[in-house]
Amino acid sequence: MLSFLGRRVLIAIPTVLLISVFVFALQKFLPGDPVLALAGEDRNPEMLAFLREKYRLNDPLYLQYFHWIGNALRGDLGISLRTQQPVLELIGQKLPVTVQLAVMALIFAVVIGIPAGVISAYKKGTWIDWLANIISLSGLSVPNFWLGIMLILLVSVKLGWLPASGYQPLTEDPLQSLRTMLMPAFVLGSGLAATLMRHTRSAMLGVLQSDYVRTARAKGLNERTVVLKHALRNALVPIVTVVTLLFGELLAGAVLTEQIFTIPGFGKLVVDAVFNRDYAVVQGIVLCTAIAFIAMNILADALYRILNPRMRDQ
Amino acid sequence: MGERLPEPHPLLQVTDLSIRIGSVGENLVDGVSLRMNAGETLCIVGESGCGKSLTALALMGLLPTPPLRLMSGRAEFGGQDLFSLSSQDLNHIRGGEMAMIFQEPMTSLNPALTIGEQIAESVRRHRGGTRTEALDRALEMLRRVRIPAPEKRLGEYPHQMSGGMRQRAMIAMALANDPRLLIADEPTTALDVTVQQQVLDLIRALQAETGAGLVLITHDLGVVAEMADQVAVMYAGRIVESGPVAAIFDDPQHPYTIGLMSSMPALGARSGRLVTIPGIVPPANAMPKGCRFAARCPFAMPDCAKAPPLADLGGGHRVACWNAPLEQAFPAMAVAG
Repeated sequence: MLSFLGRRVLIAIPTVLLISVFVFALQKFLPGDPVLALAGEDRNPEMLAFLREKYRLNDPLYLQYFHWIGNALRGDLGISLRTQQPVLELIGQKLPVTVQLAVMALIFAVVIGIPAGVISAYKKGTWIDWLANIISLSGLSVPNFWLGIMLILLVSVKLGWLPASGYQPLTEDPLQSLRTMLMPAFVLGSGLAATLMRHTRSAMLGVLQSDYVRTARAKGLNERTVVLKHALRNALVPIVTVVTLLFGELLAGAVLTEQIFTIPGFGKLVVDAVFNRDYAVVQGIVLCTAIAFIAMNILADALYRILNPRMRDQ
Repeated sequence: MGERLPEPHPLLQVTDLSIRIGSVGENLVDGVSLRMNAGETLCIVGESGCGKSLTALALMGLLPTPPLRLMSGRAEFGGQDLFSLSSQDLNHIRGGEMAMIFQEPMTSLNPALTIGEQIAESVRRHRGGTRTEALDRALEMLRRVRIPAPEKRLGEYPHQMSGGMRQRAMIAMALANDPRLLIADEPTTALDVTVQQQVLDLIRALQAETGAGLVLITHDLGVVAEMADQVAVMYAGRIVESGPVAAIFDDPQHPYTIGLMSSMPALGARSGRLVTIPGIVPPANAMPKGCRFAARCPFAMPDCAKAPPLADLGGGHRVACWNAPLEQAFPAMAVAG
């Protein structure tokens, strides 16, 4: 397993480099001049020239890239044009917030989506299946922002149970931190739970008809063992794939959710950076996101190998 | 397993079993009755789709319901009606006193669990004990089904084994709790010809060792001749002929049985064409009302519009044909035969 992970990480390096080239190029070809954005009202040519020189914007593109990637490898992703803070520091501040939101949302999605999918597949065609499908369809159809606002109105404003917005670092006050994050995580997780439920249901429906599930029943095992040990274990392989794919949706959803609940997270950082043409920050964020995606995929591959012994021999 | 006292009751008695798909149409399995004594081998033979596998699955309580429906019937096993047991009581019997081997060794084992675990979980389910004890029993069973390097196989997954090996593992799993009845649904059909014989020999040897009764489902008359004490020939959901193996092979009475026998290629006879039964099996949604074989039968007559009963010709030999016994209906046949 370790050599497998090592190999996968090695393979990931050229991928990351390739992505870095794309990120860099894309940014350069975007319309708009960052120097103008930076200079604001003060547009005298000397000032603009000074800024161009300062941020090496007059160098050839490949030099700019090598300069950037060389620094990036040393952990220096540049300075934010807007806040003058190091990009890595900015990301370091905001990332934990979003990771907490994403992890809690994913827990919601898994804890709701997988059992609901299993039950609905097992009870296929009964009212339980119908109910689960209706709830999941509503989960998919209701937009995050609407659900968020409604929950704030009900839970925070009317009932006063949970705070409507803000953020408390997990390290400072864990309980308060979890309380603050509960509603955003639920909002973000509900759509994912619905997707996960539908995929779990279809994977389980296939597996429940398989010959080995019949064999398990022929052994006289109780239904719980048949469903959880024999069926679900095999259905988990496609489910892991779905969770990996949902990760992207999760990050995109986080941007919106953070806006609704005014959480100072990664999403807000992304939006601010893009609107202000804060090149260094956008590049740093996209690079971090890409690495996170690759890490997720390596994790998924490792899970496949745990779940599916056939993949261990390849 | 020592000798058992002769039992007053048959080991398995199925009465009037009918299975239907959905709520309309004809029965896929129609009024099937079977009877076998402890330690005997009963072969159910017929073409694919004749309902022989459905019959076996029904006995194990493994019919996919819906879409299939058990319309009628009793199945007495050791004095209890299998069809009226609670699922808990049924789970007590299946895998324990009554076990089953399936046709597809490639897909019948769980790809995510080791062979050892799959055998051991059945042992623990029915005998209790620790995991180690169950794994010991699994190892013993792998030895008994003569899998090479059984210690190594215990920790292997199904995909690491050949089809024949997997079927041996299935047999080990089925016999792990010393069942009194083993149901084998085409256990050799998916295997290479050379392996088929080995697996059949193994089943027979283990059956002799344990004294288990065997319901063997097959379409292969060669297998029937080799293994059976009793034979039931099924056609389109009904038993058309049944009886001791000698009676069926020496004196087949139903035109379908005769057709099956003559379509069997004899070794060495290289000249001439293979005899076939003309026509096809009626589809499930267009079952004829009377004798279901009539459309393909060379001896069909107006009476065949009514379903013939399974009549006893003596010595347990039963035939569902208005013409039986053929010697009386067609005296010339006796001379020819």
